[in-house]
Amino acid sequence: MDAVKAFLRHPSGMAGFVLLIIVLIVAITAPVLFPVSPWEMSGTPFTPPGEDGMWLGGDTLGRDVAAGVAHGARVSLLIGIASALAAMTIGVMIGAISGYFGGKVDLVLMRVTELFQTVPAFILAILLVATFSPSLLTIILTIGAVSWPPLARLTRAEFLRLRGREFVEAALCQGESTARIVLGHILPNAISPILVVVSLTVATAILLESALSFMGLGDPNLMSWGFMIGAGRTVIRQAWWMSVFPGLAILVTVLAINLFGEGLSDVLNPRVSRRRA
Amino acid sequence: MTNPSVQDKASVLSVEKLSIALPEGGDRPFAVEDVSFAIGRNEVVCLVGESGSGKSMIAHAILSLLPKGVDIVSGAVKVVGQDTAALDRRALRRLRGGKAAMIFQEPLSSLNPLKRVGEQIEETILTHQQPVPPAAAIKARVQELLTQVGLPNPSLLANSYPFELSGGQRQRVMIAIATANQPELLIADEPTTALDVTTQRQILRLIDDLRRERGMGVLLITHDFGVVADVADRVVVLRHGKVVEHGSVEQVLRNPRDPYTRELIDAVPKAHVKSRESASHATPLLDVVELRKTFRVKRGWLQPPREVVAADGISLTLHQGETLAVVGESGSGKSTLGRMIMRLTEPDSGAIRLGDQDLRLLRGEALRQARRGLQIIFQDPFSSLDPRQKVGDAVARGPMAYGTARDEAMAQARQLLARVGLTPSAADRYPHEFSGGQRQRICIARALALRPKVLIADEAVSALDVSVQAQVLALLAELRREMQLAMIFITHDLRIAAEIADRVIVLQHGRIVEEGPTAAVFTNPREAYTRDLLDAIPGRRFFDQPNFARQREALA
Repeated sequence: MDAVKAFLRHPSGMAGFVLLIIVLIVAITAPVLFPVSPWEMSGTPFTPPGEDGMWLGGDTLGRDVAAGVAHGARVSLLIGIASALAAMTIGVMIGAISGYFGGKVDLVLMRVTELFQTVPAFILAILLVATFSPSLLTIILTIGAVSWPPLARLTRAEFLRLRGREFVEAALCQGESTARIVLGHILPNAISPILVVVSLTVATAILLESALSFMGLGDPNLMSWGFMIGAGRTVIRQAWWMSVFPGLAILVTVLAINLFGEGLSDVLNPRVSRRRA
Repeated sequence: MTNPSVQDKASVLSVEKLSIALPEGGDRPFAVEDVSFAIGRNEVVCLVGESGSGKSMIAHAILSLLPKGVDIVSGAVKVVGQDTAALDRRALRRLRGGKAAMIFQEPLSSLNPLKRVGEQIEETILTHQQPVPPAAAIKARVQELLTQVGLPNPSLLANSYPFELSGGQRQRVMIAIATANQPELLIADEPTTALDVTTQRQILRLIDDLRRERGMGVLLITHDFGVVADVADRVVVLRHGKVVEHGSVEQVLRNPRDPYTRELIDAVPKAHVKSRESASHATPLLDVVELRKTFRVKRGWLQPPREVVAADGISLTLHQGETLAVVGESGSGKSTLGRMIMRLTEPDSGAIRLGDQDLRLLRGEALRQARRGLQIIFQDPFSSLDPRQKVGDAVARGPMAYGTARDEAMAQARQLLARVGLTPSAADRYPHEFSGGQRQRICIARALALRPKVLIADEAVSALDVSVQAQVLALLAELRREMQLAMIFITHDLRIAAEIADRVIVLQHGRIVEEGPTAAVFTNPREAYTRDLLDAIPGRRFFDQPNFARQREALA
């Protein structure tokens, strides 16, 4: 409860939160605001913004850019959040096992993590998506699979720190099971920094998805921001609006999530919030 | 309260009607209220009080080191006639480390870990002496200072890093830094709290020697009346930021006028051995045989690992209803011993027999079942409770892990919390709502929830104020009688060992140097090491001998 109150008083965090809510509302109300499919060629190609009933103009085939941005928000947020959750599941599991048990298990798991960290994430993502034909599910899983190592490292560090704490040892002496110690004592005390990193992972996941769509590796049935920029890029000198508006959408969303994440980090970090108090 | 020396022109420090306000929303409006005292040359004044009494605030105000939002609202602090609050930054810098110097509680965190000790002393001289003396003179001065504070081999030591020194050596280096510029006032904020008794005595003696040599005024902040009895000329007792008593050491300690002072003095464990009926020696409950443990610390690729022997063949027995104190200095292996018995640290060899089982051979579920009979209370009540778990859950979780139904376990938890002196409604609150002493009571309730046969208390009262310490010890003694508990009480404080234990084991470097009934060990120690430990108990002679008057010019 205190954390919520402190967050309400955090200016940049709240700004991020408000922006995020706006993006979310646009995403949810997209079918109402733009009932016509974003793939529909509803106007003349190359319509500048504001003309022909299209606020943000039309693209090379006369599709409404505004409709594309609104519907793209659904895809970006869905993929961003789902793949961050996938990354969290993999990362927290590996980090927790590694940090709690230590020894040989830790050694092996951390080498695997390093393997993933040394291969550039984007190249690996391209490779994976290209191998398993692009669809919503494969894109989510791919982004999850390339974004978990920082989470695993963080979780491991938190577990190492907490495992030696006296309240964990006291729980051990009280005969509590390993599962209860991990889920009931260590994880709740490690969750704050993990949540912050997960929120930032959402932002990078959105960027990754945009980059994949830009390369033409997005789900062909989904209108996404990256796809729109990719499609408009060849005519950017004649028709800037085709790539600038989806680009701005990405900028605003990622910025909002980063501000929100940093606000969360300040509020949940006891040292910082105590200084503030 | 008469206070004649405030007007004394020769005083190196005078605190006059000092009030310091706390930021709004604090537990009281003033950290310090209307405090006056003075320190003359060659005089030691002790500022005594429990945690939160505002004693460190005063020390920080003297050097104008108060945190933001905490301000002096009235009164003044004058060091050698200068009002520190009125000084500009430059003059303050000249004062700090020049005319007035300070020593802190934790020497490791007050030394820069990346700089050699010698450089850190040089720095103080360089900052303050104008014109800057030639390099050779500074080097010579550093050697001289290190020799003065009693450090062996000063030239080697000057080239060491803080982590290479022991706690006592680090505090000596801090004293060397503090006295480098011949200060007239030395402020020591709990300088020996983090140190062993023997080291404590040496450091106090060093401060006293330097004081006498140079005629410094010393402000010693402490919570330990034993220390007060050993070194102070005058005493100022603080409570909730106000002076409750002020006078000479004899007057305050022998005839305290204020009930609070009396209470504090009575709470000091006096190392008076209480006679107890010895338990009938049937078969021992716990039998520890030849435990050995060596820690290996990796140093580098080519260097051999450093070996630290924490247990070198320790054997002990414990009977039902008996309390065994394990005493020793830090690094003697006493905590490791407790942790090995709990199987939190794996011994290299030996046996831990509880009943008819050897705990060392147990694994998994069998170990979990056997642990039920053994419980531990840790030193730091702030890190031994899960901050996100309600107190009731913390106590009930143990029995639930062994199959007690939740409702029944919670009902028991409430009873236990009431038994250790908390309200049953404490069960629904989180640990951060409780004070240190209350938290330690919660830890005791948690340990007892499983009805253990053996309770290990690892420095269980060391982090508490004396008055709280006395209450918790009394509670433990009661519970021990009630539940016929066998207790292993690990402590560095021999006074506490004397109060609570039936038998004592003295550990040094992982080996038992002396063992026996408490009365025998305390009144007639066989080993020189035990005698050293006993002699180092602060204030022992003062409290033991009602007519003992400390010589003004010679300490112990």
